[in-house]
Amino acid sequence: MEELLELLEGVKPGVDFKNEKDLIGTGILDSISIVEIVGELNDEFDIEISPIDIVPENFKNVDAIYALVQRLQED
Amino acid sequence: MSYTSSEYFVFLLLAVVCYYIIPKKGRWVVLLLASYAFYFYSSRKYIIFIIGSVITIYLIGLWLNRIDVDFKEAKKGLDKEAKKALKAKVSRKKRLVVWLGIVINFIPLVFLKYFNFFSYELTRVGNYMGIGGKLPIHHFLLPLGISFYTLAAVSYISDVYRGKYAATRNPFKLALFLGFFPHIVEGPIGRFDLLGEQLYEGHSFDYARVTQGIQLMFWGLFKKLVVADRAAIFVDTVFNDYTNYSGMYVVVAMLLYTLQLYAEFSGCMDIVMGSAEIFGVKLDKNFERPFISKTVSEFWRRWHMTLGGWFRDYVFYPISLSKSFTKFSKKVKAKCSPFVARILPAAMAMFVVWFGTGIWHGASLKYIMYGLYYYIIMVAGMLTEPLWCRIFDKLKVDRKGKVYRALQVVRTFIFVNIGMLLFRTDNMGSFFHMFRSMFSNLNLSVLTDGSLLNMGIDKMDITVIIIGLIFIIIAGVLGERGCNIREAVAGKNIVVRWILYYALVLAVLILGAYGFNYPDIGFIYAQF
Repeated sequence: MEELLELLEGVKPGVDFKNEKDLIGTGILDSISIVEIVGELNDEFDIEISPIDIVPENFKNVDAIYALVQRLQED
Repeated sequence: MSYTSSEYFVFLLLAVVCYYIIPKKGRWVVLLLASYAFYFYSSRKYIIFIIGSVITIYLIGLWLNRIDVDFKEAKKGLDKEAKKALKAKVSRKKRLVVWLGIVINFIPLVFLKYFNFFSYELTRVGNYMGIGGKLPIHHFLLPLGISFYTLAAVSYISDVYRGKYAATRNPFKLALFLGFFPHIVEGPIGRFDLLGEQLYEGHSFDYARVTQGIQLMFWGLFKKLVVADRAAIFVDTVFNDYTNYSGMYVVVAMLLYTLQLYAEFSGCMDIVMGSAEIFGVKLDKNFERPFISKTVSEFWRRWHMTLGGWFRDYVFYPISLSKSFTKFSKKVKAKCSPFVARILPAAMAMFVVWFGTGIWHGASLKYIMYGLYYYIIMVAGMLTEPLWCRIFDKLKVDRKGKVYRALQVVRTFIFVNIGMLLFRTDNMGSFFHMFRSMFSNLNLSVLTDGSLLNMGIDKMDITVIIIGLIFIIIAGVLGERGCNIREAVAGKNIVVRWILYYALVLAVLILGAYGFNYPDIGFIYAQF
């Protein structure tokens, strides 16, 4: 989780990823920042996030992103 | 058959009666027959194109399913390496199949909508370069809703390809998904996973839902007939004779066109969503108070949302996440500054999105420029963001404060209005002429000396437009505060409720800009 938080803060500095519950609804993450995050996640965790995984439920907060990463690592 | 015509309301009533009198299991068949009767009535022989689209996506979907089933069988007993090799082979095959489906579905749209444009432009370029001759043009009409149902068809096969859901074995279900009569003319562009089952299952009659659907339809009619069609008269007067107007005439016409397009398009969406709700079908929303947006990106997340969502999911993400693009991004990252590495790949993928968004609206240079206009604003915003941040930090501007946010909304509103001016003008030449003419003559006096009353609308019309606008703003503010107006109305006592119902219906009937004194104004997006 710490690694993920560091990665997210690297892409989007100044955002309280730890406590923010709705990164999509509040407009903190738009499609461009999501693509950046996906690129970093793919590299960092050796996973392949495809367009079908890019839904608000998977990126709404750090827990959801963490769950996505874990699921793809297990696949 | 226009959604504001009396024929449509008779047609809808008949469809609703038929839907609810037959057993639940067969209700979807009523929707299917009604939808294709609607299509045939409006488009006659051009119905062949939507049927062709249904058949191709049905077959492509089944083909993709077959490949998946065969793969599951074939991989049994294989070791890891062999499985990987087989998966790569299967992926390549699936990619070819889905591309075949996409190309087949886009061919009619590209040919019917864009062939003449390219033919004309290439002839012009050829003549300019001294090459004689003239490329042929076709004289076909554009099938009803082709720009909308083609995107829905492509979303279906793309989702099946991605494994989001299995392809349906029922071609009629697909036919209903593409041709459902409330959304066929102007969208919203549906997704099969959200809409397919809703259309297919038989819904029970629910008095509250049906009345709320009717309310939404009348609210849409109010926006279209009372506000948009009145504003259109002033707008057409100026835009159709733009060389004779300047200064405030053009500014007012531009603002009124923005109001016209919003009231008309969102009004149409209210009519179609209300119509669908009567059958128990919830369509995706297309508007979410776009004029409170702080940036143009946010505006496009709130305006024509299903089109933006389609380009995001089926163009932007696939390009940005493709292997070749990821490789390119990594190269940029290794060779350029982190800032460039962040901006460049996104800017390249966005170019395709905004070029596509522009040309989707129509086969002309001005629509391409309309898309690229927003692209330029967005990329310029991304490039200058660090500079603005530094400036605002130095000036100690509170970027979370209300004043700053209000200024952002105003800035976005100005950008959007300039975009609307481009969208409404006939070509780039008239756009530049009108844009310049706004600043060439600061005739502020026309706002008060009654000159605006010589533009096809009188004092009463202007009053009605302003009152209508106030109601639209009130509805927007309440919606933004999370108030569901229709549920709030339903919660009132019977007297208040019926007073409100009558007020809305009478406002449409009495104040609607229809009849002998008003021109018949169609839906702008129905032409796309």
